[in-house]
Amino acid sequence: MDISRKWLSDYVALDCDDATLCHKLTMAGIEVEAVENNSTVPEGVVAAKIVDRQVHPNSDHLSVCQVNDGKNTIQIVCGAPNCDAGKIVPLATIGTVFTTPEGDFKIKKSKLRGVESNGMMCSASELGISDDNSGLMILPEDTVIGTPVKSLYPGDTFIELEVTPNRPDCLSMWGVARDVSCLLDVEPKFPEITVPACDTEIADLVTVEAKELCPRYIGRVIENVKIGPSPAWLVERLESIGLRSINNVVDVTNFVMLELGHPLHAFDRDKLEGKRVVVRRAVEGEKITILDGRTIELKNEHLVIADAAKPMALAGIMGGEFSGVTGDTVNILLESAVFNPSNIRSSSRRLGVSTDASYRYERGVDYDMADAASDRAVQLILEVAGGTLASAKMDVNTGRPAENVIVCRFEKIRNLIGSGVSNERIVEILTKLHLKVSDITAEGCKVTAPLFRLDLTREADLAEEVARIDGLEKVPQIAVNGKICHPASEDAYAKVQNLREMAVSLGLYECVTYSITGVPQALTDSRFEESDLIKLDNPLNPDSSVMRPSLFGGMLNVAERNITRGNRNLRLFELDKVFCANAEKYPEERDELIMLLTGKRYADRYSEDFALEYDFYDMKGAVEDLMEMLGVSKYRFTRLDDDKRFKSGNAVAVDIYGRRAGVFGEVNNALTSGWRHTSKVFVALFEAQSLYDASVKASRNFKALAQYPATSRDVAMLVPEDMENGKIIEFIRKRNLANLESVRLFDIYCGKELAEQNKKSMAYELVFRHSERTLTDNEVNSAMDKLRKALESDLKVELR
Amino acid sequence: MNTIIESINRAVEEAKSRCAAAKSQADIESVRIDYLGRNGLFPELSRQMGTIPAEERRETGAAFNTGRTAIQQAMDEAVARFTGSASNDDIIDITLPGRRQCVGRKHPISRLAEECVAIFRRMGFIAVDGPEIESIYHNFDALNTPMDHPSRDPQDTFYFPDGRILRSQTSPVQIRVMETHEPPVRIVAPGRVFRRDTPDATHGMNFHQIEGLYVDKNVSMADLKSVLQDFAREMFGQDVRIRLRPHFFPFTEPSVEYDFSCVVCGGKGCNVCKHSGWIEIAGAGMVDPQVFRNVGYDPEVWSGYAFGLGIERLAMLRFHIPDLRFLYENDVRFLEQF
Repeated sequence: MDISRKWLSDYVALDCDDATLCHKLTMAGIEVEAVENNSTVPEGVVAAKIVDRQVHPNSDHLSVCQVNDGKNTIQIVCGAPNCDAGKIVPLATIGTVFTTPEGDFKIKKSKLRGVESNGMMCSASELGISDDNSGLMILPEDTVIGTPVKSLYPGDTFIELEVTPNRPDCLSMWGVARDVSCLLDVEPKFPEITVPACDTEIADLVTVEAKELCPRYIGRVIENVKIGPSPAWLVERLESIGLRSINNVVDVTNFVMLELGHPLHAFDRDKLEGKRVVVRRAVEGEKITILDGRTIELKNEHLVIADAAKPMALAGIMGGEFSGVTGDTVNILLESAVFNPSNIRSSSRRLGVSTDASYRYERGVDYDMADAASDRAVQLILEVAGGTLASAKMDVNTGRPAENVIVCRFEKIRNLIGSGVSNERIVEILTKLHLKVSDITAEGCKVTAPLFRLDLTREADLAEEVARIDGLEKVPQIAVNGKICHPASEDAYAKVQNLREMAVSLGLYECVTYSITGVPQALTDSRFEESDLIKLDNPLNPDSSVMRPSLFGGMLNVAERNITRGNRNLRLFELDKVFCANAEKYPEERDELIMLLTGKRYADRYSEDFALEYDFYDMKGAVEDLMEMLGVSKYRFTRLDDDKRFKSGNAVAVDIYGRRAGVFGEVNNALTSGWRHTSKVFVALFEAQSLYDASVKASRNFKALAQYPATSRDVAMLVPEDMENGKIIEFIRKRNLANLESVRLFDIYCGKELAEQNKKSMAYELVFRHSERTLTDNEVNSAMDKLRKALESDLKVELR
Repeated sequence: MNTIIESINRAVEEAKSRCAAAKSQADIESVRIDYLGRNGLFPELSRQMGTIPAEERRETGAAFNTGRTAIQQAMDEAVARFTGSASNDDIIDITLPGRRQCVGRKHPISRLAEECVAIFRRMGFIAVDGPEIESIYHNFDALNTPMDHPSRDPQDTFYFPDGRILRSQTSPVQIRVMETHEPPVRIVAPGRVFRRDTPDATHGMNFHQIEGLYVDKNVSMADLKSVLQDFAREMFGQDVRIRLRPHFFPFTEPSVEYDFSCVVCGGKGCNVCKHSGWIEIAGAGMVDPQVFRNVGYDPEVWSGYAFGLGIERLAMLRFHIPDLRFLYENDVRFLEQF
């Protein structure tokens, strides 16, 4: 809603500056979005009196004046002929900035032909007040010296308001004035409306068939109007809020809508078949050409204003191309109606036509105002376009709706606001808002909301009115009540934070990607097929049409984008929701954790460290670290052979407490083939729920620390090159060597000579310990002997 | 004791005192040249070894080695006085890069969300979760949203063929919590929400909110204002002020929007606050009586407030991020800044 300060002040005395007015509006819930004053007088120009005028010693056309600005007497060198002593003139003081088409121009202290000048006296044209540049502008004799000239020529101020959907009553100058009057504590002034009497009934002028969509329709006839340009005042009013003048009659309908908030429409009555209107639902398939030139095919749900034959206007939205007022129009049928808001909204949306009228109708107009608006328009049309009123008010309606009566308990209002607003103040505010307050007692009152405030139905609504007018700054600030209402165990976010913390401590950077994605990216994760995807009904575009079933595709996308930008060394994770339509595979929504490693492991180091690239064991290590942080004692890695996401033979499944929790490995080259890089990419993907559960299950009980020293022994062996470490460790463990505490691989060696024999050397450290005494060498040696024999005879390896 | 041993002992004493008196590394170098250098005393004595009777050789050899070691040690100690280090192995270049472990980072959205949650936990709230694929009932109907409210339009909200939607706000979590809990209720709900907006500098298909809800007996707007004021101070510093402006939301009455005094200019006026001194943060209000009725709470007994916060907006303000899209690009040069 755009308003003009000048226009607004027709209805309410605005005894405050723009900033105060805007602040009050904003703080009353009618937010000011933009303010623009069109006064051309710069700040810094004040009314000043010329106290002395002398001829310039070095010039025959310049004068040296002494000027009083109310505080000081200032010397000004002036070239104007009329700078006579005693005159009050506009003085641009030092620092005043004039904005000109050539750029900003700042008044500075200067010397003109050797005489100091400390400002500039101005002509009306220099101030943009008029074209007069014949000499200085002479201000009235009673002007108070020192007054900013801007305040004498304030121009107009354009104010853009954000009116919330519950306040359609503020979609007019009058409506805003009504609230402003309450804020400034002055009486608003409704325009004086006088209409000549006419009681000519035209019985069939208005027929309302669709009463459910049109509770009121007032039709009136004005004859012999003369269509032409609008008078200057009307043009100025419309232009002040950025509207273009069309012709006098159309301008009046727009003016009244903006003034009173009630949309009107003027038909050229001679273009209506039967010279009458019928308010009805459109017949399926019926067509109308509307004012913007479009021809629309209508449905039964659309309400139209038809003549005896066909639709002439989209009710409440836009007039028809062929029934509007044109230069040839002589006789007018003036419509002032009330339509069903939902119907207008849905028609406006479906047909893609939105107008100032539909904007107001879909929010709800004032039933009572239909009457006043009709009168106001008649008055103004007669005034600006001549003609005669030729009919009575043909008012077809379903009866005036009942007003809402609300019981208002003062204590309840105070309790909700939390302030000590008094009973009297509550009554005062509600009364000033033009609500009818009755039955006032010490406990409360009855409030009747007028029909322009349909948003007021409950006590809470009244509390809001009191709060906003009394001022929300009066709501006191109290100590925060930090009451604990729920056990911490119900905090669902803690587990997510916990897991995020773990991923961060692995040195990974967290990513956040959109959860809506395209089908190809979604299916990058080969666990899913198209039928598993949850598809949007109204996607924004084809690349964002499904819910991501996995974080896999998005993470690869992030990696690729980074690599394209030259960020080749990546250690990333994401922890967030993913979605699946197939309940047999996964729940609809679940959390997933993905980790990705690629590029250099230590990009900021040098020499050997710098050369290191992430490999399989880095990712495995990250997973193992994660398990340790979660406190998972039982997990198992199994090689996966048929997972298309990973390079064949390079994928590992992770089971926690016997349940599949995730998978990791080197990403299948096919998925990274277009990338601008040479490094391998490793990904781990986990069901976050498994990790949350594991973390809960983890035992964190203290275990006694060993008191006696350990003894360690090494054993090295030549084994076939395809023999896995796990097999050797398992073999050693299965020997059940007495007091064996741990086995650790400490070296793998595969020199050229060994490679030629398809062998490698594996070396292990075994640690023996007894919890209650120190072991003897003999005990340990005999265990080692047993092991060595078994390794040679059963595992068939060659000891070194 | 033969003359060689005597020479050795004398040399050791001399060298030690010269080392002790040395004023520079050059002084020590001259000690080395005089005693241990190619033409120094010790090589000379070594050549004389052959002249010593066999039975004295062992003793003389031992003295020779001991003496030479003693001098070397005296020199090393003296050198250490000048270099602060006892040997070459310990000489370090402190300008070489340290061997850093990689430090992980939280995404700024998570960082902010966690910070908000931490602040509210301090005030007795717990953080809860709700589904992102939501029913129209929870996202709109139960929140008192009119049937023809524009936010329900497929133009603005993502729909699924089964009639459900992607939640357009975290407010449905309020409903879910109240449906399953008797009052009092004191929760915040961080999470992702969806709007059908084409991504630009300030919009995305999804963004993150935190919803807050407190329902109890005698909860007022004063409680709401206090919680928001404390939150503002904890998040942006003790000098930040808040102001409430009346507004409209279907699920609160009275409804407000709340502003923080500009966190960039402190309220003096700058580009960030469009010279108003205030920055609009989000909406809040007292839970609408109809919402209470929808979840089976008696509005005559219970009252409460609800508020929302946009995480991206806070993150952009907090970290001076100019464009929302940086948050979703995940360029590591961006991520490593937080």
